[in-house]
Amino acid sequence: MSNSVYVAVPVMVLATVLQTAVLPRIPLFGLTPQLPFLIVIAWALTRGPEEGAVWAFVAGFFMDLFSTAPMGTTSLAYITAVAVITWIQQALPPSHVVLPVIFTILATLITLFVSLLFLRLFGYQTTISAVASLAPISLLHGGLILPIYWLTHLINRTVRPHPVQI
Amino acid sequence: MNFNDTPQRIRWATLAILVGVAILLSILDTTGNLDAALSFVQDPVAAVAGWTSARVDSFADALAGPRDLRVAREEIARLQARIDELERENEELREVQGEYQLLLDLFNRARQTPDYRRLTAQVIGRDTSPSLRSIIIDRGSDDGVRVGMPVESARGLVGQVFRTTAHAAQVVLITDNASSIPARLGNSRATGVLHGGGLGGSMSIDWIDLKYRIEPGEVVLTSGLGGKFPPDMVIGRVVEVERREAELFQRAIVQPAVDFEALEIVFVITDFEPIDTDVFSAPPGN
Repeated sequence: MSNSVYVAVPVMVLATVLQTAVLPRIPLFGLTPQLPFLIVIAWALTRGPEEGAVWAFVAGFFMDLFSTAPMGTTSLAYITAVAVITWIQQALPPSHVVLPVIFTILATLITLFVSLLFLRLFGYQTTISAVASLAPISLLHGGLILPIYWLTHLINRTVRPHPVQI
Repeated sequence: MNFNDTPQRIRWATLAILVGVAILLSILDTTGNLDAALSFVQDPVAAVAGWTSARVDSFADALAGPRDLRVAREEIARLQARIDELERENEELREVQGEYQLLLDLFNRARQTPDYRRLTAQVIGRDTSPSLRSIIIDRGSDDGVRVGMPVESARGLVGQVFRTTAHAAQVVLITDNASSIPARLGNSRATGVLHGGGLGGSMSIDWIDLKYRIEPGEVVLTSGLGGKFPPDMVIGRVVEVERREAELFQRAIVQPAVDFEALEIVFVITDFEPIDTDVFSAPPGN
């Protein structure tokens, strides 16, 4: 497994602290974006399904530390979203603008749906209509993914440049 | 490491292992077997969150401080008008209070006012899941906070402690879907269970007998039944009554008294005298 796993832990600790202590105070259009989720999606689109899944697991773990949701449910939701979008990504030509936005919207909807599924499985009274009311957050995520995706793309190119064949 | 060359089976194995671990964690957490381990991880992160939250508060205060003087003057004028209005209301309320005091004195003859022990706690975070409603406070089991303790603010009931670590605790808000509180209406004296509406929903008291005439504006209080909450804590007000004569029951929609978005300091009620229900434990005739 790549060394990025060791980077994932401190990055996600920081992102989760921001998520629970700072971001709820500065909502955008009345919604609180999910920073760890955006980082996971950006990293998965940049580095592929394996690393994406590991980052999704780590992000979900720390998110669940500060939630009443059972530990592991957010990880499952994130891993599912990462698996789906990276699978679709492989079938499509590379794009650094349109596809990340579409993938993020799709991933957000998948995450919401899978979370609903698992929460209901564990006896939480979450309803489809309640989750549907969160759908606008997918558009917000779609708008916010681009700077995060470009940043991860830049970090990836700097840290791991493409090998040159001679 | 080129991930495009990674064999498909390794990829699937990684996913399967992660999903398996996540499911295992869910089961362990639901059965309560993860508390000690979670506490070990959560405490340091909660400490960082608390520190960050305090810095953000200071920063927000510094930004809000030097506001435009004109805005401040307008605000003073508006508040002055509001004071005049409230003074008039106050006079009317004093008259009502006289009557109320009389009734209260009679009522208090049969009831001892319980002395609650309270613990002040700072709100240091909010639920990271957008579909759940909870807050994180900076007091934990080391401070005497235990699962199930009620939490209130200056304006009313906030929720109940759901999970504790040594130095932090998670409080399920009364607006969360998982919340159900025995409640009583102030005027009509109807009782029922108040359910949190959760995301996008409203708090409501269902299954209220049609014999009660409920009016919007009625205060909703804790009934104290069940012993988990002290009686007479303010929860909110009735904003709508769904009364259909064809049905056997009616439903009251309740607006919480607390502004949960603005919560900064809360009180954990660590000790109170619950309603004595021992009389029901002994069979009749004993």
